[in-house]
Amino acid sequence: MTRRLFPLFFLLAAGPLAAADFTPLDRLAAKRLLSPESHRQATIVALWSSDCNYCKKNLKLLSSLAKSNNKLRVITVAAEPESAQLWPLLKPYALGGPRYAYGSDNPEAIAYAIDAKWGGELPRTFLFDGRGGKEVVAGVISTATVEKATGLRF
Amino acid sequence: MRADIKTFAGHALARSLVLGLGLFATLGFAADAMPGMAKGARPELGTSAVFAPDGSLLVAARQGEHVMIYRSADEGKTWSAPSAVNAQPEAISADGENRPKIAFAADGGLLVSWTHPFPKPNTGSVRLARSADGQRFSPPLTVHQDTAIITHRFESMLTLPDNRVILAWIDKRDLESAKASKTAYRGAAIYAAISTDGGRSFQPEYKLADHSCECCRVTSAIDRDGAPLFMWRHVYAPNERDHAITRLKPDGTAESVQRATFDRWKVDGCPHHGPSLVVDEKGVRHAVWFNQKDGEGRVFYGRLEISGKNEIAGQRTIGGPRAAHADIVAAGGKLAIAWKEFDGERTQLRAMVSADGGHSFTDIALASTDGASDQARVIRRKDQLFTFWRTEKEGFRLFPLP
Repeated sequence: MTRRLFPLFFLLAAGPLAAADFTPLDRLAAKRLLSPESHRQATIVALWSSDCNYCKKNLKLLSSLAKSNNKLRVITVAAEPESAQLWPLLKPYALGGPRYAYGSDNPEAIAYAIDAKWGGELPRTFLFDGRGGKEVVAGVISTATVEKATGLRF
Repeated sequence: MRADIKTFAGHALARSLVLGLGLFATLGFAADAMPGMAKGARPELGTSAVFAPDGSLLVAARQGEHVMIYRSADEGKTWSAPSAVNAQPEAISADGENRPKIAFAADGGLLVSWTHPFPKPNTGSVRLARSADGQRFSPPLTVHQDTAIITHRFESMLTLPDNRVILAWIDKRDLESAKASKTAYRGAAIYAAISTDGGRSFQPEYKLADHSCECCRVTSAIDRDGAPLFMWRHVYAPNERDHAITRLKPDGTAESVQRATFDRWKVDGCPHHGPSLVVDEKGVRHAVWFNQKDGEGRVFYGRLEISGKNEIAGQRTIGGPRAAHADIVAAGGKLAIAWKEFDGERTQLRAMVSADGGHSFTDIALASTDGASDQARVIRRKDQLFTFWRTEKEGFRLFPLP
């Protein structure tokens, strides 16, 4: 049984890295993803959605920052379930990090686990310095904000 | 008149997950490995409800590529088989901020409006279908003449006693022109189209205001003298997402656009929270809206009296820190507000009723769900007030309010 399930597990875990699929997020996974203890390097968790134009600005900036400094890891979370339109929107930014979309859990429970103070506005960005520090930014971010929060230079 | 997992179980799997997580943790990817979660489907639960003149409850909701009408003659206990509004299938927006709307024209015609999204993100057209007998609908028409593949979305439908029907929506034609000429333009615009024949045809659309927010529902009401009112989230320079309100003159043009809230939420982002407005029998405008004030996002209630002091009479918070998407209605000397609020485990449906014009309220806990849910809607049947709520697990539910 165990032997048969191992490949299944790796298939699930490798999902965001291997294919266009988005890993579905539930409340427990969201809580873990947004915990500073989960990030041992400078990491940005960027929330976006298909109907958020301001999110494109952030994704574009993060794409260029990740290219100029490979110590920055960018994880994206689509604040909506996976659909055919998500990947074409995200693909142009060529962000190599894991990508998530809302799973079948109550969307409000997922949002609460991500950030109990989040009212749903997008974009929302969580910046981790990899040493336990965490900053939250609502709206459009700047290079200076990312440098200050992560300790990296671009 | 207002329209408004599957999870695998077993020790073996648990062991393999623990082992797997351990491996990933040592690689520094603990947060990235999230096994055993189910993919979600977009729960498009956005639904509107209205009472028909005969007292039955009508609900407009998306089912695939159709807007369907559901009917209940017993306050939501039983429902008739649904009937399709649009005979030809088409894409239909039905998230909470952008849902099908349902209303009766003064001549008794049943009207259903919706946003038809195009394949390109953030684009669509505003559609409307009319039924003379409440059963068979005319083919839907697009209420605007502009055929560009841009935003014409988030419509609000207002029906007036003189058989006029006004739809107002978020429109990006001015933003697109500004982009083409490489000039700056804040937000989007509000456009409107008027029908003088109960929604059978519409006059060419026109602009009500520049610089609306881009993705929040628009609300409407009838002022004490019968003038149409529209209210929406606006973008005040440089990026304050407060609300604006306008009254329409008899010819439909905007009388003036006034700032309606003063919370000064500065954000370059999409709030996804639109306001709700009602005018009571005494002519007092009551509104509920979401804003961040002093760094905290809250739902607010207030009376939009024109005082010139940049203050909202009676402004107070509604519910707790997770309250969201409130709706407001007035009838029979009462005012009712309903909203939803996640409590850390479940989504609660709550309401408040005031019998003194919004000066004091009684709180009521109505229901809860542990799945996805639509926004709460408050509706009236003559002088009776109700909350209507659609949830993924429980379906349509109607709650009479005291």
